[in-house]
Amino acid sequence: MVNVEEIRDYAAGLLEKGEVKSVLGFRRGSASAFAEPCTITNVGEAASLVWDPTCLNNLALYLVKDRKQQAVSKTPDTRPVGIVAKGCDSRAIGVLLQENYFKREDVVVIGVSCEGTGVVDPRKLSAKLKGRTASRVTFAVQGSTSVAGGRTPGATDGADGINVSVYGDETETVIPAREVLADRCLECRAAAPALNDVVFGNTVEARDFNEPFHAAKEAERLSEDERWATWERHFDRCLRCFACRAVCPMCYCPECVVDSTTFVVTLGTSAEEKANRIRWCERSANTSESAVYHLTRAIHLAGRCIDCGECERVCPVNIPLRLLNTKLEKEAFEMFEYQAGHDIEQASLLSSFRDEDPNSFIR
Amino acid sequence: MSNPSQTTEVQDFEPRIVAFLCKWCSSAGSDLAGVSRIQYSANATPITIPCSGSVSPMYILSAFNKGADGVLISGCHPGDCHYMEGNYLARRKLYLVKELLQFIGLESDRFRMSWVSAAEGAKFAEVVDEFVEDLRVLGPQNRLKAER
Amino acid sequence: MTKRTGVFVCHCGKNIAATVDVKKVAQELAKDDGVVFSEDYVYMCSDPGQTAVIDAIKDNNLNGMVISCCSPTLHEKTFRDASELGDLNAFQCEIANIREQCAWVHKDMEVATEKALKITRASVRRVQHNQALEPIGVPVTRRAMVVGAGIAGIQAALDLTDAGLDVVLVEKQATIGGNMLKLSETFPTLDCSQCILSPKMVSVSKNSKITLMTESEVESISGFVGNFKVKIKKKAEFVDPELCKLCDDCTPVCPVAVPNEYDVGLTNRRAIHIPFAQAIPASFTLDEEACLGLNPVVCGKCEEVCDVGAIDYDKKPTVTEEDIGAIIVSTGFDLYGMEHMGEFGGGRYPDVLDGLQFERLCSASGATEGHIMRPSDHKVPKEIVFIQCSGSRDPENHCAYCSKICCMYTAKHATLYKHHVPDGQAYIFYIDIRSGGKGYEEFVQRSMENDGVIYLRGRVSRVYEKDGKLRVMGVDTLAGRNVEIDADMVVLAQAMEPSKGTAEIAKILKIARDKDGFLAEAHPKLKPVESVTAGIYLAGAAQGPKDIPETVSQAGAAASKVIALLSKDQLAHSPMVAKVRDPYCTGCEMCVDACPYDAITLVDGKASVNEVLCEGCGSCVGVCVRAAIDVKNVTQLQIHEMISAIMA
Repeated sequence: MVNVEEIRDYAAGLLEKGEVKSVLGFRRGSASAFAEPCTITNVGEAASLVWDPTCLNNLALYLVKDRKQQAVSKTPDTRPVGIVAKGCDSRAIGVLLQENYFKREDVVVIGVSCEGTGVVDPRKLSAKLKGRTASRVTFAVQGSTSVAGGRTPGATDGADGINVSVYGDETETVIPAREVLADRCLECRAAAPALNDVVFGNTVEARDFNEPFHAAKEAERLSEDERWATWERHFDRCLRCFACRAVCPMCYCPECVVDSTTFVVTLGTSAEEKANRIRWCERSANTSESAVYHLTRAIHLAGRCIDCGECERVCPVNIPLRLLNTKLEKEAFEMFEYQAGHDIEQASLLSSFRDEDPNSFIR
Repeated sequence: MSNPSQTTEVQDFEPRIVAFLCKWCSSAGSDLAGVSRIQYSANATPITIPCSGSVSPMYILSAFNKGADGVLISGCHPGDCHYMEGNYLARRKLYLVKELLQFIGLESDRFRMSWVSAAEGAKFAEVVDEFVEDLRVLGPQNRLKAER
Repeated sequence: MTKRTGVFVCHCGKNIAATVDVKKVAQELAKDDGVVFSEDYVYMCSDPGQTAVIDAIKDNNLNGMVISCCSPTLHEKTFRDASELGDLNAFQCEIANIREQCAWVHKDMEVATEKALKITRASVRRVQHNQALEPIGVPVTRRAMVVGAGIAGIQAALDLTDAGLDVVLVEKQATIGGNMLKLSETFPTLDCSQCILSPKMVSVSKNSKITLMTESEVESISGFVGNFKVKIKKKAEFVDPELCKLCDDCTPVCPVAVPNEYDVGLTNRRAIHIPFAQAIPASFTLDEEACLGLNPVVCGKCEEVCDVGAIDYDKKPTVTEEDIGAIIVSTGFDLYGMEHMGEFGGGRYPDVLDGLQFERLCSASGATEGHIMRPSDHKVPKEIVFIQCSGSRDPENHCAYCSKICCMYTAKHATLYKHHVPDGQAYIFYIDIRSGGKGYEEFVQRSMENDGVIYLRGRVSRVYEKDGKLRVMGVDTLAGRNVEIDADMVVLAQAMEPSKGTAEIAKILKIARDKDGFLAEAHPKLKPVESVTAGIYLAGAAQGPKDIPETVSQAGAAASKVIALLSKDQLAHSPMVAKVRDPYCTGCEMCVDACPYDAITLVDGKASVNEVLCEGCGSCVGVCVRAAIDVKNVTQLQIHEMISAIMA
């Protein structure tokens, strides 16, 4: 069980010693029971850091934002940044390091193991609470009373349930983790951050929720026509709000090749250059154009997506975007023994090959 | 396929294929098919590229978006790449593209990859003919085609 | 810049015009954006055709043009040269292939015309985004490497040094000379093979411009035409050739006997041996595999008797790196294995020999000192059967191709046999007699008429041993009868195949092989000595079966190609190389990992292309998620335009 005081002390220590300019972490949200990301820059703020199942965000995104800010700043502050990182967040940092987005010494990774659980899926929780709003969500302490549905065998440490209180009723209800955890947490293979400068919490090997890539495998089971019917519906309702791209730490490209609104135009950009920008898809939110956008994004994340599930969480029209990415990560893992963010020294998935890569699909 | 009207449609339908051929093997192989006067379907229009490894997934998505009924990518056999490794990079990348397209439910016969060497004129003709036949069965590609 | 594109549609006589409505193609293209000139002509590549192109460029002030004609492998250079003559940069000219990829493979005019239009239109859209480019000048290393020192390699090396070039001559065996060394006499003149080869071998050893590396193999290669870096691995030199006095004290004490390669297994040699008396380099050598044990040294007898101390068991293999400008590959042939010829008793009966073994029997330097006798009992064979096309021209079971030299050498063998055994009878089973070559047909006729060789047209079905004889069951298709001959000896004219290790050297040097495993020339007619890789040339039987005169000619041709190449101060490297779009590069290094030529490095956090190393393959383009790198004149924009043109 992670003691949040330890995280606070560590963050305070980093700031006190001046080892970092800031620490990225979570604090209590103002609007609901859900935690929100925060950047703390002085020791006093460390006490506001929280750690609970509502720490949903992938904070690696803010490392990217910091880097972008420093790049345009006249007086860049190049001191390292501390970051509270779950298993998935640390893998994201791993990919960013692999891609030289910043250097290892630029970041102090305060690892937090999700141990036997993970973070909740707000939609699942909301459904579970039947319209009531959670006021407090915490990890159920091991050995605590009244775990609905009984203990999960094999969960040896941490928590296997989520304590939830709702507004107007401060009695805690324990909901089995399986019922409210985000899909990616149910399929998580590395809940403890491997890349870290310090880790709080234990590594829990046996997390028998779902098999890895469970959701993608389920989706594969549908017939071709059913698959298309599903995805046509998804692409059709996409608003092209680009929230999925905005929340993704890997979508740090200066311009997005499938979004002409992002094309960088400066004073030095000639008319010919402007005219010669390739429009692989149109801006209109048609099924076909949204398909190009999402498929491109999926391919561009192949071997880079670390399955934080943020794209899916933020999608305002509930497109299960995570499926596209995990499908490719599944292929990468099964066919090429490649796992994104596991080795910062490895060549990327698409810039490497093995003689024994699948060949039988080729005529 | 039991519907008789569909059958007629299949016969009248001429699939449009964009064929990306690597310069050194497959384009040379198609040249050999020409020199050997091997007759094959005219449905595939070739675009010669330096190497199958140079294919960006965008080319494939774009071709489907613009209404291609099928996309063919053809390169040198493993071990024969003029640039040594390009076809291996292509193989891995295009495997993923194929898997992704199938995952969202594009008909699996619409995207094809082949190894055709400079000596395989006959094989090139066969690859095109087979592809055209498979696409005739599927009919026009409407799933990823832009409505414009 | 305003596009002023010209389109030239070639009829190629009737080759294109019979299937493609060339006039329509030209007329339709004239309507396209930016096309200011579009015409058809009967032979675009002819002198008047090219003149018309040059005039059109000038008259219309063209800044790009498409020639819609045959494959770019044929006339891209022709028209790019013409382009330059019209003061249009060569790289503003593109070829649309409407012959090989269209007219020749379709019959329906309407359909073919439609496709030709798409192909041409796509090229127009491409060329409208082409950049003017200038070839990249690359300095040249004026030094050549020849791999394989048979007659082809020796000839090529000597020709190269005649032009003043330094040559590294690499040979896998302990001596140079190759297969030709094993021959007794050569057709059609019957001059002694060693007599004509040995002087050339000596010239090699005396030539200060040749660095001879025997028992050596190419390990790896990097770089590019004009500037290769080649790593050559030389086996441990246990016997120092400088010290070895050729006294032959060592062989009598060596306890190991293994089959002698030089005598094609007809005799044995010791682990320490000299390949043959006139070997170059003239030195004994220690066969590492056969020696009883170098590590730990368990025998050591030869070292004990060597007075000059030339033997050192502690020697290790060495790897040297050489700077090389151009390479000739002449790795020769092996005979197709006798073990495949079970039906003819190949590999089963000692008196069924292959052609090279028979050469050794005829040779004065051979096991029998030139007396033809059966290996089994040393009796002189009185009836001898030669079987041609053994393993050749048999696509079902063996090699599909004709090995070309067997008709002639079999006639030679039969003639030599008759000279050695005047009272013997020679029979030759053949499918066809292919005696194209100066004096070849006359030679075959002489063998029939003067030497009474009996030619039987037909295949042999089986050879088996019966009562100490080899019973040959065949047919004479001309007489229409079965033939049975009880022979004393059978000689199989085994097919030629690429020497062992050809696949490996091809892989190391990145040159292609054809369907039969021979090294592939860049063009079957117009580039017969060039490999597909710039700066690497082919000579001799490694490229395809051929006889000595042809091999020598090809070696000379390859050498002259190298001499021409290395006579320049600078080589022109294709400027169609990768270019980074700096603002979009984030330095993720995917292109760096993907580049097969190590041509990309990070400079100040951005990818940077070494244009000399870049071959323009576009592997980088295929992996860059930011589209921050492109190959000049095959950019993603251009491909996008081509897709649009085709799908319009």
